[in-house]
Amino acid sequence: MAREDDRAKEEFTGEAEELLDTLSRDLVDFEAQGTSVRPELVNKIFREVHSLKGLAGMLGFVEISELSHNLEDMLDRLRMGKIAITKDLIDLLYDSVDSLNRLVIAINDPSLSGLVDITALARRIHQIITNQPAQKHEDPFTELTLDEQTKKSLTEYEEHRLLENVRAGKYILALEVTFDFTDFDERLRALTSSLADAGEVISTLPAIPADGVSGIAFRLLYGSTLNDAAVAALAPDAKVSSLRKTAAPAIARTEGTTAAPVVEPVAPVEEEMSLRSLSQTVRVDIAKLDHVMNIVGELIIEKTQLESLTRALSTQQARMASHELGKISRNLDRKLNELQKSVIEIRMVPVGQIYSKISRTVRKLARELNKEIELVLRGEDTELDKMMVEELTDPLMHIIRNALDHGIESAEERRAAGKNPVGKVTLTAYQQGNSVVLDVKDDGRGIDPELIRNVAAARGLIGEKESIDQQRAYELMFTPGFSTASAVSEISGRGVGLDVVKKNILDLKGTIDVVSKVGEGTTFRVSLPITLAIIQALIVEAGGEKFAIPLTSVEESLRIYSRDIRTVERREVFTLRDFTLPLLRLSDAFSMPDDHDHGPDTKWFVVVTRAGEKVAGILVNSLVRQQEVVIKSIGERLKTIPGIAGATEIGESEIVLVVDVGSLIDRFGGRAREVRAGVLVS
Amino acid sequence: MKILVVEDSSSMRAYLTTIIEGGTESYDLEIVEAASGFEALKTLPHHRFDAILTDINMPDINGLELVSFLKNHPVYRSIPIMVISTESSDEDRRRAAALGAEEYLVKPFQAPDLVEKLRRLLKVA
Repeated sequence: MAREDDRAKEEFTGEAEELLDTLSRDLVDFEAQGTSVRPELVNKIFREVHSLKGLAGMLGFVEISELSHNLEDMLDRLRMGKIAITKDLIDLLYDSVDSLNRLVIAINDPSLSGLVDITALARRIHQIITNQPAQKHEDPFTELTLDEQTKKSLTEYEEHRLLENVRAGKYILALEVTFDFTDFDERLRALTSSLADAGEVISTLPAIPADGVSGIAFRLLYGSTLNDAAVAALAPDAKVSSLRKTAAPAIARTEGTTAAPVVEPVAPVEEEMSLRSLSQTVRVDIAKLDHVMNIVGELIIEKTQLESLTRALSTQQARMASHELGKISRNLDRKLNELQKSVIEIRMVPVGQIYSKISRTVRKLARELNKEIELVLRGEDTELDKMMVEELTDPLMHIIRNALDHGIESAEERRAAGKNPVGKVTLTAYQQGNSVVLDVKDDGRGIDPELIRNVAAARGLIGEKESIDQQRAYELMFTPGFSTASAVSEISGRGVGLDVVKKNILDLKGTIDVVSKVGEGTTFRVSLPITLAIIQALIVEAGGEKFAIPLTSVEESLRIYSRDIRTVERREVFTLRDFTLPLLRLSDAFSMPDDHDHGPDTKWFVVVTRAGEKVAGILVNSLVRQQEVVIKSIGERLKTIPGIAGATEIGESEIVLVVDVGSLIDRFGGRAREVRAGVLVS
Repeated sequence: MKILVVEDSSSMRAYLTTIIEGGTESYDLEIVEAASGFEALKTLPHHRFDAILTDINMPDINGLELVSFLKNHPVYRSIPIMVISTESSDEDRRRAAALGAEEYLVKPFQAPDLVEKLRRLLKVA
């Protein structure tokens, strides 16, 4: 049995971690939705805790089982509408999930056990439960004509939801559908999600279909703001009937004969009892947005072809036609821009969404580290693509953890240095052109290049006696294998180094830079494109091939001659207004045949590009034009080549590669224009 | 003999399977797993089950709804059912019995209890 126990333990920790992960994300949504939280979400959170409790109980993890039991009890009351959503409750949920996480980690590392005080949490839970007045039980069925079988199959929770919907004056409808056995699950899920926008599917009861019909039938109990006719239009396959005995529910009924669903206003007063309120927000599946975005992308390609056709036509004879086409193209362009902007806007969410999570983590970490921290959060309204915000959370948290753990000194140390004993960490988000910048600034001890050098030397990343400058020191911190053992403390994560943070940011086509001054503090600057899908690009030609360079990375472009190019330390450079600009050739980067250089008078263009704080010049033979391009991802094989962000069609079925300036500079080197320690030039 | 285990938690499923297999070694027992009510419904026509064990709290359709369906079905109504759920859902336990579930087991349970109730369900000594 011992081995079985081990296996069970292993499976449990895996699933528990997954559950807690989902739970944490659901909590963030829960907090964001506030008092208008969807009942479905509350129930989901309840179920997650319930599952955890069941598992822990079976396997004899007493503390996890006890804590989740208390938590489940509270959540049960919450979903039953017996207690209200308060700030205390939300804080308690976060703290509990956090403690559960620790308890799960402690299963495999007993040295960590004893860190969680579940009795304190139990007390807090008890307090919240007892502070709420009891509610009298009502029978939701009196107003409904509901068959016995459906009535009997409702769980206590479903009965409660039914009651809430009756109280809120919703239409209570029964939907009967019959699906084929092969795909009933998909079709039922599709139906349920289309119904979710205008109401709540309270229960789904499978049934035997009517005589002579094959497949499986379902009877859905649906509380909705739509009447039976409107729901029938929404679900054409279903037989819809109203279950209210009284003809007119409390909400105003729109007498309409139109087949189109009519969303009726719900009296706001009635909503107080319910967890749910109708907000102005529509939750859109990101896949649907991706689809619209793809259509926009294809339209842009069409437009580009229209433009090139217009150019081809502009001979004497066809001037009139060309003129007309030009006009159409311009109008199309304007409309497309509008469409594109609005689609991008739909995808945008404020970064403030993750701020609450950050502040909680910081509070908790500060406690653990026994440091006093003032956290300043700015620019919470700054908007970023939804997917990016999701992907950004982990790397950002990592940087902040680093700041707290390694950056901020202990209170004594700070006092001794004549600093405010309270350490300050500032997270600022702001938009800069087509990028969103996030600065994490601390007023801690700063990064000592000498220390970095020693660590890097000890890890064999550089020679034992090799001396390095500040910029190189910062770069080394992001190198795989740099992360020190002491950095793998509980605080700074599970041995994930800054190299992973950097990779995550690069995957988002972003950049990360660091500026620090010993004794004064450190700033990590993460810069991300607002969206990934459509960009303005400069089309260039190098070595007989065309490339697209994202305009957001381009600072300027200028014409030079071969004789202007010098070589310093085996690196081609060009002097740009007192600044030594490192040059790179796309032919070198992508191992293409050499550019043709016909002596000192050969003409070149230098495209001055920037990634984060670093600049480099890309040498090209000519600048073709500037245009909007839709980045399409390329196959797995090319994905690994640094310097390529994707491919794009630039009209006339011509496919070109899109240059990823960030990874190109990262690979072939760029130079910070102004290395002023401690200050970021903004 | 064939039994169906309906449970959305994969580790709980694995645990149940381990106990059942360990406690019924002397019989020729085959266990089919379903991770949701939907999966259970999908798998039903492909087997002849001698017993069904189900959790209550699951996404899509819950255990009670599944029991309700089974106990009203001309073919499946004769399959004995054991509902396995936690002690907090006392009311739901009552409802499961009202719908016709033959056995009820409260989590957390001792392995011998599960085996014994299963034997009773399968009418084997």
